[in-house]
Amino acid sequence: MTARRYDAIVVGAGHNGLVAAAYLARAGRRVLVLERRPLVGGAAVTEEVFPGFKFSVFSYVVSLLRPEIIRELDLPRHGLQILPLESTVTPLDHGDYLASWADPDETRRELCRHSPRDAEAMGVFGRLMQHMAMAVKPILSMVPPDPGSLAPSDLAGLLRFGRHMRGLGPERFHALFKLMTMSSADYLDEWFEFGPLKATKSASGIIGTFLGPRSPGTAYVLLHHYMGEIDGAFRAWGFQKGGTGAISDAIAGAARACGAEIRTDAAVERVLVRGGHATGVALASGEEIAAPVVMSGLDPRRTFTQLVDPGELPADLVEGVRRFKFRGSSAKVNLALAGLPEFTCLPGPGPHLRGAFSISPSVEYLERAYDDAKYGDFSRRPYMDIVLPSMIDPGMAPPGKHVMSIFVQYAPYARTGGWTDAARDALGDAVVETLARYAPNLPSLILHRQVLTPLDVERITGLSEGNIFQGELALHQLFFLRPVPAWARYRTPIRGYWQCGAGTHPGGGIMGASGRLAANELLGSAAR
Amino acid sequence: MSERRDVIVIGAGANGLAAAATLARAGLAVTVLERSPAIGGLRRTVEFAPGFHAAPTAATSGWLPPALARDLSLSVPVRTVPDISLTVALAPGDFLPFPHDSRLAADAIRRHSVRDAAAWPAFTAQVGKLAGFLADLYQRPAPDVATTGLRDVAGLLRIGLRLRALGRADMAEFLRIVPMSVRELLDDRFDCEPLKAAVAAGGVRDLCQGPRAGGTGFVFLHHLVGAAPGSVRDRGYWRDGPEADVAALDALARRTGVTIRTDTAVSRILVHDDAVTGVALATGEELAATQVLSTADPAATLLGMVDPVWLDPELVHAVRHIKFRGATAVVLYALDALPERTGLPAASLAGVVSLTPQLDALERAADAAKYGDVSEHPHVEIVMPSVRWPAVAPAGKHVVIARAQYAPYRLKNGETWDGARREALADRVSHLIDTAVPGFLDRVLHRAMFTPADFEARYGLTEGALTHGELTLDQVLFMRPIPGLAHYAMPLTGLYLGGAGAHPGPGVVGAAGWLAARRVLRERTT
Repeated sequence: MTARRYDAIVVGAGHNGLVAAAYLARAGRRVLVLERRPLVGGAAVTEEVFPGFKFSVFSYVVSLLRPEIIRELDLPRHGLQILPLESTVTPLDHGDYLASWADPDETRRELCRHSPRDAEAMGVFGRLMQHMAMAVKPILSMVPPDPGSLAPSDLAGLLRFGRHMRGLGPERFHALFKLMTMSSADYLDEWFEFGPLKATKSASGIIGTFLGPRSPGTAYVLLHHYMGEIDGAFRAWGFQKGGTGAISDAIAGAARACGAEIRTDAAVERVLVRGGHATGVALASGEEIAAPVVMSGLDPRRTFTQLVDPGELPADLVEGVRRFKFRGSSAKVNLALAGLPEFTCLPGPGPHLRGAFSISPSVEYLERAYDDAKYGDFSRRPYMDIVLPSMIDPGMAPPGKHVMSIFVQYAPYARTGGWTDAARDALGDAVVETLARYAPNLPSLILHRQVLTPLDVERITGLSEGNIFQGELALHQLFFLRPVPAWARYRTPIRGYWQCGAGTHPGGGIMGASGRLAANELLGSAAR
Repeated sequence: MSERRDVIVIGAGANGLAAAATLARAGLAVTVLERSPAIGGLRRTVEFAPGFHAAPTAATSGWLPPALARDLSLSVPVRTVPDISLTVALAPGDFLPFPHDSRLAADAIRRHSVRDAAAWPAFTAQVGKLAGFLADLYQRPAPDVATTGLRDVAGLLRIGLRLRALGRADMAEFLRIVPMSVRELLDDRFDCEPLKAAVAAGGVRDLCQGPRAGGTGFVFLHHLVGAAPGSVRDRGYWRDGPEADVAALDALARRTGVTIRTDTAVSRILVHDDAVTGVALATGEELAATQVLSTADPAATLLGMVDPVWLDPELVHAVRHIKFRGATAVVLYALDALPERTGLPAASLAGVVSLTPQLDALERAADAAKYGDVSEHPHVEIVMPSVRWPAVAPAGKHVVIARAQYAPYRLKNGETWDGARREALADRVSHLIDTAVPGFLDRVLHRAMFTPADFEARYGLTEGALTHGELTLDQVLFMRPIPGLAHYAMPLTGLYLGGAGAHPGPGVVGAAGWLAARRVLRERTT
């Protein structure tokens, strides 16, 4: 045992672990963060994968980081600087495109070109979504009450939740209920007629899930696009200067400034438990570090079945964790490019290259991509969300060269035949080939290619089954059901052992909310 | 006409008759108008070949809520529960039965998976208990979180307490199962593929979605409401015939003085100054009434019978977007005898036999419908009413009802359900049955095919939906038929909706009609 004593150890320096550590340190706790990898960030890291080419290897855009965290931890002072992603272009099969631009009027004119009716509907739709997003936002900062508990705090929480819902009024409550239960395709069908618009919007509903756009439960993620807040403006998606890892560095900086200690290359093998209490951790090196509180930022499977002996836990919790769905469904392809790709639909340079490209020509295209995955293989023609970070932040690539980040779906973790090297290459080929249909010069520009299957994501980041949200964001895994009923309030049955990862409410997407809520809940319980 | 008429009920199905009886017992003069030559609605049997009778729209009996029977002093028909409610075909001549005696079921399952056999009794007990919670919800109007009446608050609290009364574990499981997919529900508990496929089919019944779709966990529970303990499909059948429930409601309605006119199609609901004044018949005749309760589906009622000038455009928009999506086709077969040596246990004949032993096959069948295609290998389930009720066929002969999914109402590229397409599907269904039950085809004397297009044409069902609106989570409870109108009263004074398109929906005999009628009575007294 080392001589120095800590009040709390946080396992995993992902963004939630760092946020939790920062809040605990800010409250005067002596905190140690332990990270298995040589760098902090978890799935929010920037790495120079190829010499001179830096990538936000996994997570690549940001918008949901809670504004209260940015404010309370003073993240801009520690390097947070979000550069807006200004546009989204969906190339269409016949050489045309659908774009949304930073300027709403321009977007409206563009949509009008395809469907005047949809352009009309978009205004009303956008306002409703903003109302809905505002209705949901307080829930993101709410510790889920346990409907099965009779504790006063749970009853009060349920009452507060019920009042919040009723306070929305019938129209918004019903709209919210529809959003929570419908498929994004069905929901959008009620509003719009232009296929590529519906497809591009519904694509946001499938990200990180093993569901297709016609699967019920995908509609509510539409809200995410209206929930992001960058500089107070709704709907903006952005790109961190220096890559997503710089966000993690900023949070780590804030934590350190408050006195937290962060050790990398320090893999926690297990949490030490004595008499139902957490007493510290044992590292893979054999070193043991004592602390009365251990907070796991890892996903529920690792938190409950690997870091501790499941035998220490109630059987129904272990069974609940076993039933918690991960089902990683996405892959990432990172390309180092010798120059700029030329999209057939928008040739030459232009502002569109500073935005995102969505390969989502129709709902049917996305649905067929899902069908491939259902039967155990990656999509032959996948959905892709593409950005060129070097266009926004030239520091990401050598002068004149570029990096391209491609989010790919679907690539099922449980691929029939497994993720062999050949399968990984085949996935990379399918991605490049599909993209070349819209940007024919792309293959000739590729200097290096990194393909990360869900299995690779699991191996590198530790995210079970490569699920980017530490567990699917499906209705039956949200709020007081996340990760398991009765254990959604960041506690565990082992006293002093806490959860703070995205596997708890409100989930992933670099919100940081889980880490903040867990830390505050811990501090609150200590105060009581 | 000089006779008094307080309320007109459109449709003489179970809901219409229940509504009429409820109103008449309160002393109102009620006229029921039915477009078909006979009463019964979707429960009505037809003679599809000389001497052979079956109801293509109701292969199995529904659940008659005890609260309804109590309220109306209805003599409830006797229910028979077959020993084996569900059987799945594994290979030609090889079947796995699921007796509702869970010990016997476990014995049968053990052949395939010891673990599953051990898990089975707890599973059936749990889903039975959770369906029991729904049963309670289905015997009263659905409370709505968003409305502000004290009545709703009290109702919500009641539900909350009943939910907690399930116990911590079952309550949590209920909240988890409702939005999840039936496939996940089963994957959590079982390994045996035919078991999962057979049970999962209950979660996609009459739905245009596959077993991976969220909310199919709810559909599975919905169809178990009122089922016998241990059963994983349906609720048994009326001992005294397929229409025993309708006959009981009909007798009650007539006893209470209800006038029933068959062969009387309503073409329009008459409205003046935002209030209903009566109906116009297809013949041109007009009948006056200040209250009209329609058991036709929401679209058929609001878009088909009401002049849109009286409706709010937002309401019209919402009704247009109700998902109907009929996707079930039915083939009726007249057999000269049951095929011999089929391998099918005799006790299975009175239950449902599913011909789809793989979840992926069920999913692939559903995939086709997503793109407007008819399934190449449809999911087929058969029942044999003549085993239950010999009177539906000539002596020694038999009737088979085959339900096939997916046969989407809306086909791609504007294609239609023409004769060739209908026959091709019927042939596929016949072939699938003959493969599982060798010798079947040799026994067929006659067959009758019903596609969603036929259901729409013959029964007035929008998009041929037997459900009056899909049972997806956004279209049930306080969202049914559309949000804000879940309490039976439509936004025109005197117009009520009391068919299966209203809460609690299809399969719950007479409940929507009964609850709608009670709403009528409440409004008349205030």
